[in-house]
Amino acid sequence: MLRPFVPILLLIAFVVANAILLIGLSHFLSSSRSNPAKRQPYESGMPVIGDARQRFSVKFYLVAMLFIVFDIETVFLIPWAVAFRSLPESAGLLMIEMFAFMVALGAGYLYIWKRGALQWD
Amino acid sequence: MTAPPSPSVAALRKEFGDAIGRHVVSCGDTIVYVSRERVHDVLRWLKETPGQGYTYLTDITAVDYRDPECPLEVVWQLRALDRPADLRVKVALPAGQPLEVPTVWDLWRGANWLEREVFDMFGVLFIGHPDLRRILMWETYAEGHPLRKSFPLRGHFSRSEQTRQALAGNPEAHYSLEELSIAEEYKNLPPDVRERLKQGKRGFVE
Amino acid sequence: MGLSELEPGAAGSPVVSAVSPNFMTTSLDFLANWARTGSLWPMPFGTACCAIEFMATAASRYDISRFGMERMSFSPRQADVLICAGRLPFKLAPVIRRVWDQMPQPKWSISMGACASSGGIFDNYAMVQGIDTIIPVDVYVPGCPPRPEGLLYGVMLLMKKIRGESFTDDLLRQEQTIGANGLYLPPDRIDELSEPFGNSVSQTRST
Repeated sequence: MLRPFVPILLLIAFVVANAILLIGLSHFLSSSRSNPAKRQPYESGMPVIGDARQRFSVKFYLVAMLFIVFDIETVFLIPWAVAFRSLPESAGLLMIEMFAFMVALGAGYLYIWKRGALQWD
Repeated sequence: MTAPPSPSVAALRKEFGDAIGRHVVSCGDTIVYVSRERVHDVLRWLKETPGQGYTYLTDITAVDYRDPECPLEVVWQLRALDRPADLRVKVALPAGQPLEVPTVWDLWRGANWLEREVFDMFGVLFIGHPDLRRILMWETYAEGHPLRKSFPLRGHFSRSEQTRQALAGNPEAHYSLEELSIAEEYKNLPPDVRERLKQGKRGFVE
Repeated sequence: MGLSELEPGAAGSPVVSAVSPNFMTTSLDFLANWARTGSLWPMPFGTACCAIEFMATAASRYDISRFGMERMSFSPRQADVLICAGRLPFKLAPVIRRVWDQMPQPKWSISMGACASSGGIFDNYAMVQGIDTIIPVDVYVPGCPPRPEGLLYGVMLLMKKIRGESFTDDLLRQEQTIGANGLYLPPDRIDELSEPFGNSVSQTRST
């Protein structure tokens, strides 16, 4: 029953073993000669000014959230398309159903557009 | 057969009279000697008078002659872009008097770093300069002013001392607020720099 | 220190081994050194005219890519060799020291040109008289500037030095930081290395 999956499991096992081997070997065989200057960030040889932890814009979060919503919509669209082919007798109902779904999400899209959430600046 | 002097010399003598000393023509360039008290007025007149219009300050430098009888001279090299014409204005600073001249930063913004270089290399103070500190040597350089004839070529300190001072130098310790143009960087500065800026200290005039 | 005092397998330095050399260690040394010499990524610390010659060496006619050095690393984190090409002012001394400290082991350095090796023609108040007063140097390439063939010969000498190294040698990959006195070498050693010669002998006093 699991026969077709054996190659994939072998691949996963090989990848994991390879990663452990590479990282483990370099961890154990390497030398570590740390000094204070080496631990600091590289600033062209100058002493370090400032912190690397900067704030970044919350718009990235907004874009990510919107992406999730419309990605889920796409995820629903694809199996619907597959099922649509194998159910030719209820084509009309299926179309109306999917369009209702897309209209609902389209209303949300219109809302964020008018609200200015798609403007970067 | 030397070239005739620049017409600005005659115009200067007419305008300022006694403040203009001798003039020299050397290799086609006209050099005018001016008294120290009036040099700022002379340079402003040369820049702003329509007939003169020396709007481009090419360089500010200084000369320390080998002959100890000759005084140290500060040199302004001016250029009128539309004619085009060059003029060199010099002020002689004799030995007994303080090495000070007025700044021309208010006339030409580029004089900021040019005067810092003259201060660094010769020790000439520019009165009214917003931020007079060393520019070529590091700011805490303690050996003196290198281009003076009284400064030995290899410096005053031993090589090991110079190396030690160089390695101890912090190249970023003395940025002014303009140089850190992102003002929000202020909170990320080292505490000694912030202290210095808070006290309003803008430069080292030793 | 004569040649008889050196152990075999060293290229100029006495090998202090925790493990005595055997087939395994020498084979691993051969392998590691072959890998290291085959891809020495340079960090070009080019300050002046020698940097132009370095660029010429990297260009197509002389091509240090043949030696595996085509990938210039301008960040010390990924570099193997620091090539100081050009004169070093005192103001830049803490910078090169910090860049050298930030390079991970194994690292080597090539002092390219007369100014980096000894101060060159600039025996004055502003120039470091040889970068070996600030960082350890493996190969000195003389010249003002050295021809590309000269720099390539220096690179080949460095490769020969690397091939003589052994991982059993404890002294080899030591990091020596700036001491408490603020210097990398003892002061009398720096003065000795920076002694004036030629026209500079009288220049420690003013006229």
